[in-house]
Amino acid sequence: MDLEFALEAQDRQDVGGDRQYDVVVIGGGPAGATAALYAARANLKTLVIDKGLTAGALGLTAKIANYPGVPGEISGAELVARMRRQAESFGATFVQAKVQAVDLEGEVKTIYTNEATYTARAVVIATGAMGRGQRVPGEDRLLGRGVSYCATCDAAFFQGQEVAVVGNDDEAVEEALFLTKFARRVHFVSPTPDVKASQHLREALAQHPAVVLHAGAALREVLGRDRVEAIRIAPRGQPEQVVPVSGAFIYLQGNKPITDFLQGQLPTSETGCLVVDREFRTALPGVFAVGDVLCNHVKQAVVAAAEGAIAAMVAEKELRGRKQLAVDWAK
Amino acid sequence: MALLNATIQQQVREALAGMERPVKLLMFTQGANGVVECAFCAETRALLEEVAALSDKLALEVRDFVADAPLAELHRIDKIPAVAVLGDGPQPKDYGIRLYGIPSGYEFGTLIEDILMVSRGEAELQPQTMDALKRLDAPVHIQVFVTPTCPYCPRAVLLAHKLALASDWITADMVEATEFPHLANKYEVYGVPRTVINETIHIEGAVPEATLVAQLMAARDKPMAQR
Ligand SMILES: Cc1cc2nc3c(=O)[nH]c(=O)nc-3n(C[C@H](O)[C@H](O)[C@H](O)COP(=O)(O)OP(=O)(O)OC[C@H]3O[C@@H](n4cnc5c(N)ncnc54)[C@H](O)[C@@H]3O)c2cc1C
Repeated sequence: MDLEFALEAQDRQDVGGDRQYDVVVIGGGPAGATAALYAARANLKTLVIDKGLTAGALGLTAKIANYPGVPGEISGAELVARMRRQAESFGATFVQAKVQAVDLEGEVKTIYTNEATYTARAVVIATGAMGRGQRVPGEDRLLGRGVSYCATCDAAFFQGQEVAVVGNDDEAVEEALFLTKFARRVHFVSPTPDVKASQHLREALAQHPAVVLHAGAALREVLGRDRVEAIRIAPRGQPEQVVPVSGAFIYLQGNKPITDFLQGQLPTSETGCLVVDREFRTALPGVFAVGDVLCNHVKQAVVAAAEGAIAAMVAEKELRGRKQLAVDWAK
Repeated sequence: MALLNATIQQQVREALAGMERPVKLLMFTQGANGVVECAFCAETRALLEEVAALSDKLALEVRDFVADAPLAELHRIDKIPAVAVLGDGPQPKDYGIRLYGIPSGYEFGTLIEDILMVSRGEAELQPQTMDALKRLDAPVHIQVFVTPTCPYCPRAVLLAHKLALASDWITADMVEATEFPHLANKYEVYGVPRTVINETIHIEGAVPEATLVAQLMAARDKPMAQR
């Protein structure tokens, strides 16, 4: 074991001091970045927490041509980056981190990330809809019994064993490479024929002697009685295969609203999206939700952005105890 | 060689400058001649010495697990390295806050938070939690299994420690799973954080305060297994 002692990336709610905000926006896609722009422009101390520029729907879109005021083709990532720069120019702060959990009840809300803990008086949820939907059979039952979503946390329990990593983005590859320090063999199961991670990670994965790549294979089931014993995968154009492993680390994306970090604190619709009123308030005071995380029948960047603007203005009204929305062009 | 570099030392010094009441770290380690085998006892001791030097409100007492067995028993400490974070000064108090295994990686922050919390003497829990805790009438033992590389774990440990601070019925242990493999085996820990309440209730992951408290109150109705 390497011994490391750092306070930097710790849960330091009370130590750091500067982790208290008026508004914390979770997710920095068009919805979140626009909410931040409006909140910051209204002189609210605003923080956006986002796990990665290209992790959201707009961020990973190759080309967008229908965002008003931005003629011609532009990459989704560039458009998001511009929105963020604009929000920053009004004073919003962006941090790259994944929100793991929140405590939204009460007047002061707490937001826990893998880097630090923040507090806010208002929270805007704008995490989009790239979340994983249905679990595969066996996954829930064997959670904590070999099924894991955090290799860095749990790798030590798989010393000298055979494990599988399922996914195809940067996070999945990084976790697989971390696991190679403990596990005897790592089966990397990518749902797509090509791994979508950055080039240096793809290369490191391909060259690693302990990694077996299963490209273009869907995860069908996690097998085992009391512990994970194998996974069942379906490689494209080939018969299904059972791979004996004692650990299954799963990092898949999908098209479901990302609400797992809420741990049931807010009601969701049957399809898993957050429910809001006309002004994007959720059931909890001071908590708003905007963009694709809602059941929007039109999923477009401009709609998500507009919702972010409305939510920020309503949040501002409530935080300042006003009865009416402040008109943004008034200043 | 110092375990904490100058930057970290400075950060910890600044953090501890906010201490209110004095705190004592009571550590149990192996004897000088290594009667009991203990993988990280020497490092844990060195770490605590460095931390204790960063505040004059923080004291360190190092005891031998074998030679001082009666004291260990008094504090119900059954494995090493062990750290109990105690209130010190004119009215010393053992709140039942324990760390088993070296508090390294993400858990180093937990140690510092624990010190600050005990120093404040205030757990800062929700009013509903405080109400629920008042209904406790029997001992509750919470064990939170962690690894030093787990970013979600400190939250689970701190919550358990807050509960221990708030209620005299509760003892809450951080257990570094890789240093106590027999316990990891016994409680079937293959993923962290994993919280075990009174041996009977197992909770996967870092859950919100209300969820943990609900489980804790449920544990109250189940018989307490032998410690
Ligand atoms: C392939 C594709 C093409 C599209 N083409 C167009 C188009 O041409 N024109 C158009 O208008 N719309 C298009 N859309 C739709 C548009 O991209 C979405 O409607 C819009 O991006 C929704 O914005 P959002 O901010 O709600 O979510 P997203 O853009 O998905 O942003 C969500 C953000 O939240 C972050 N996040 C999620 N979970 C967490 C967490 N736990 N912690 C921290 N951060 C988190 C993500 O990193 C991400 O940045 C397209 C969508 C797709 C998938």
